Formats: sequence, structure tokens, C-alpha cells
Amino acid sequence: MKTMTIQLRTGTMMNMDCNVAIKLTDAALDKGYDVRIFGYGEGVWLIKAGQEPKRFPNVGEEAKKLVETGKVEVTVCNTCTTARGFRRGEEIQGMKIGSLTNDLSRFVAESDRMVTIAR
Amino acid sequence: MQSKLFLLFKSPHEFTGLDLIEKMSGGSKRGVILFEDAAYYAIDPNKGKKLLEAGKEVFVMKDDLAARGFAGKAMAGFKEIDYHEAVDLIMERFDQTITL
Repeated sequence: MKTMTIQLRTGTMMNMDCNVAIKLTDAALDKGYDVRIFGYGEGVWLIKAGQEPKRFPNVGEEAKKLVETGKVEVTVCNTCTTARGFRRGEEIQGMKIGSLTNDLSRFVAESDRMVTIAR
Repeated sequence: MQSKLFLLFKSPHEFTGLDLIEKMSGGSKRGVILFEDAAYYAIDPNKGKKLLEAGKEVFVMKDDLAARGFAGKAMAGFKEIDYHEAVDLIMERFDQTITL
């Protein structure tokens, strides 16, 4: 089965980029593809637990549902989380604070297509 | 030569690098998907025409046009698509995606 990797570099409350990542993932799953999402820079906020946006979609909750299918893996950059005071244990269950060198490189190696969502 | 699918997210007033599409394609098959504020290309006669010349096949997300009050209003030459069609373009119809 083919795999799509999405490199997400935009934060959750900046615009609709995270929502685009979620919708693309959802559609890719519907069509039978596996998906990997790697959050880099502001993109790490996708996996922060306890998000309660008043007007924006709750992309953390939506990403959690996608991960629970077992066909989506979400990992973010640990250097980026540390720089933002986002500590281990604060991530949504089922998602991971990982690394560019171990995780993004593996995602790229295992993927058929890579999509970058960035500003 | 690998075919290339360009993803645009910024409005025509913010992004001014359309020439990159032709330069980076190098004569290969190319297409463009417009997400978010880039959807405004599809209703802007001047900038839209330039994008059609550069991108050849230009797709615009239906959701993003509708969210901005332009549902079904894309100019001739722009194809309105949903997320399933976007996934087909990314995974099957083009070899590579490039975000500008």
C-alpha cells in the first residue's frame, strides 16, 4: 500500500493549514493509503494535548481519531518542542515527540509521496 | 523527467513567484492545486490568467472557494476539486509535489 507523508510546518491557530493536513489525511485513508505526518517548527502544536479552540476546528482531536485507525502515524520534532517549552508528556496519546533524523528520515524513506504544508 | 504538482497556499497578492513554476518544471508535465487564500487566483482575471499560462492544469479546492464566498465561481480553465481528487493528483497523477 502506498504511503503519503505530510510535513506540517504551520501552527494550529495561525490559519487553516493544519485543517488542510487533516482533510488530506482523511481523504487519503478513504482511498486506502497510509499517512505519516511530521510536525516541524510551529507544526509541533498539532499534537499538544488539551487544545480548546473557540472558533477553529480542534485539529488535535481530529488527528487523534485518524491515528486511532492504525493507518496514520504522527510525530513532531523534539528540538522544536523543547524550544517552545512543550514538554514530553504534554502530547496527545498515540502521537510522538520524535526527531528529524530518526523519524522524518524514516517517513521519507518509506513514503511514495511527500507533501509540505508551510508558509 | 518527473511530472510536478505545485501546491499554492498564499493569495495572489502575497505570492509573486509564478515564474518559479515554469523554471522548476523544466518542460515536464506540471499542474497546480490552489489551497486556502491561493483560491483567489481562480477569480482574479489578471493573476489567474498568468497562473493558467504557467501551471497548465490548475485545480482549486472547492471548500476554499466556498469558504470565501465564491462557490462555483472559478473562471474557465480552473477545475474545482475535492480532497479525494487532490489525493489522486498527489498520489497517482504526478510524480512529485512542490509547495511554493
